[in-house]
Amino acid sequence: MAATDDRAFALIAAALALPGILPIAARAQSAPDEGVVALRYYDYRDWQPGADRMAVKSPYLYALVPLSESLVVEGSLVYDSVSGASPLFHDTLSGASGKGIGDYRKAGDLKVTKYVDDWSLSAGAAYSDEQDYISRAASLEWRTWSDDRNRTYAIGFGAAKDRINAVEGVNGPVLDQPRETYDYLLGITQVLNARAVVESTITYSEGRGYYSDPYKLLDARPNHRRIFAWLTRFNVRFPRPDATLQLSHRYLEDSFGDSSHMLEASWVQQVRQGFTLTPTLRYYTQSAARFYHDPPFPQGLVPGEPYTADERLSAFGAVTLGLRVAKEFPHRITVDVGADFYRQRGDLRIGGGSPGLAQFSARWIEFGLTRRF
Amino acid sequence: MASVHELQLSTPDRALADRAAAAAIADVRRIEAKYSRFRKDSVTSAINRSAGRTSVAIDAETAALLRYADRCHEASGGCFDITSGVFRRAWDFKRDPPRVPPADELDALRPLIGWQRVEWSDHEVRLPDAGMELDFGGIGKEYACDRAASICRDQGVAHGLVNLGGDVRAIGGRADGSPWRIGIRHPAREDDAIATVAIHDGAVATSGDYERCFDFDGRRYCHLLDSRSGMPVSCWRSASVVAPIATLAGSYATIAMLLEREAAAFLVSMGVAFFLVAQDMTLSTGGGSDTGASFVVSDETA
Repeated sequence: MAATDDRAFALIAAALALPGILPIAARAQSAPDEGVVALRYYDYRDWQPGADRMAVKSPYLYALVPLSESLVVEGSLVYDSVSGASPLFHDTLSGASGKGIGDYRKAGDLKVTKYVDDWSLSAGAAYSDEQDYISRAASLEWRTWSDDRNRTYAIGFGAAKDRINAVEGVNGPVLDQPRETYDYLLGITQVLNARAVVESTITYSEGRGYYSDPYKLLDARPNHRRIFAWLTRFNVRFPRPDATLQLSHRYLEDSFGDSSHMLEASWVQQVRQGFTLTPTLRYYTQSAARFYHDPPFPQGLVPGEPYTADERLSAFGAVTLGLRVAKEFPHRITVDVGADFYRQRGDLRIGGGSPGLAQFSARWIEFGLTRRF
Repeated sequence: MASVHELQLSTPDRALADRAAAAAIADVRRIEAKYSRFRKDSVTSAINRSAGRTSVAIDAETAALLRYADRCHEASGGCFDITSGVFRRAWDFKRDPPRVPPADELDALRPLIGWQRVEWSDHEVRLPDAGMELDFGGIGKEYACDRAASICRDQGVAHGLVNLGGDVRAIGGRADGSPWRIGIRHPAREDDAIATVAIHDGAVATSGDYERCFDFDGRRYCHLLDSRSGMPVSCWRSASVVAPIATLAGSYATIAMLLEREAAAFLVSMGVAFFLVAQDMTLSTGGGSDTGASFVVSDETA
């Protein structure tokens, strides 16, 4: 049966590759001809043994509007309201570990994409505003498809200018500190057969500026950071159980010295009456930054050298379990509800994690409403 | 392409309809001229003249058609073969009285057939033996049909129908939102429909043994020849297929006729809705669960 599917697929692909066989609008394979409006609401909460920490509530609005057969604009707006204290990881840290946070974040982005024959160009801008941090970014992405539409290449470039203004920094105000980042992206998507697609993307980012955490008692990070990431995704459809398996792996290497792997598997299962059930399992493992030091604080501190006791740069492993349920309604409306549960511990890392880390847990609940038109 | 063609365009703008029709018809004529066996200046004639000698440079359109013919050859297990037109030299369907060619005439032609031996690439094609021929008749008309529909849609026509010699491609549904109702010609009665299928978009194509044929000694001989034996296939009176584009619908219908007994299994594996009429007028239909297209048999058929 698989051989027949391949022949059917090859036949259809060859037919679609005949010049002028489809109208121009259909030919630009990825040019969406339908608009989307989506409203989502995220509720995030994290906690550690004996204490609730952070809660974030974010409404999020997204829209995609085709302006013409070859021009599409998309944009999103999000408002995060953050409350609580930042995570306390070390059992033995004395002194202020992090003050209470009452913060907000407003962010928005806009992207315009023009489709021409077998390539497209996107230009985007993004803005994010928090009490102590502003970020402005712009990006450009060029995509092109092979004649038979089975392969897509993507090349992207982005630049961001951030400004940190931590008036209430623990060691005194940190005023007007800039940070500039440049990102580069190279990606390939390949349709393997009628049922499977693989995508691989490499990104490289280089930044200069202020990286330290102003709310940590002692935190001095290099002012130059390079990050290399390699993400691979593989989707395969199983028509008989009417489901799709989505697998992904991301390897990341940071000039701060930490490197990580993330493995994720999702099973998208269509069930009766227009419902879709998607369980997800994710495993994340990270090594420590070279200037991360285990407790007790301030062990290992050398004046003039970078130093951090920030648990986010320690070595740990984490597991996420998630479930999403979606239902399609008339008028192309989809409603979805999802929950994810996250647990992070030093000993969840294969090979062992940093000592003295307290367990960190988090949960997300999200609701979404999407309308296509 | 000596058959009746029809363009139905629904639009309130008369000038737009005229422009779209003119552009579509011009392109159909262009393809006919480019691939006609009967015109000395066609690409087909140039390729056939060089058989057994040099290769001929081809453009992207011809290369894409050859690639498509290659996939049809593979999908049909070798039955669909655009080099099998040479058998035509032995068969004359207009001859009166009709004549079934003797086996030795067909044997003489058989070595000239074999798509797998044709040397082709994106830029050139060569027929290895003198006397070999390429015939785009099996795919050219459906390809022209799809292009005509695309041209009309690109010009701004949102509702229309292109019928090129029985291969039908829809552009949107009817202006009032209802689907186009395509009748499948009754194999025995020229002006009657044996079944109807409703489509909003997509294509319907029919291959039948009645297009060019003769009856001799109680047996029907039609123009669809098995590429290996050189004898006409005889299992189905007609095969109709619904597919997203006319090129595919037409190929599936032709291959179904050529595959004879295996037609239904082939069409099911390709995932298309189909309608087959057997020699004894038994009807079978299947496939199409994805698209919802289904053939409704006419009341008069009993």
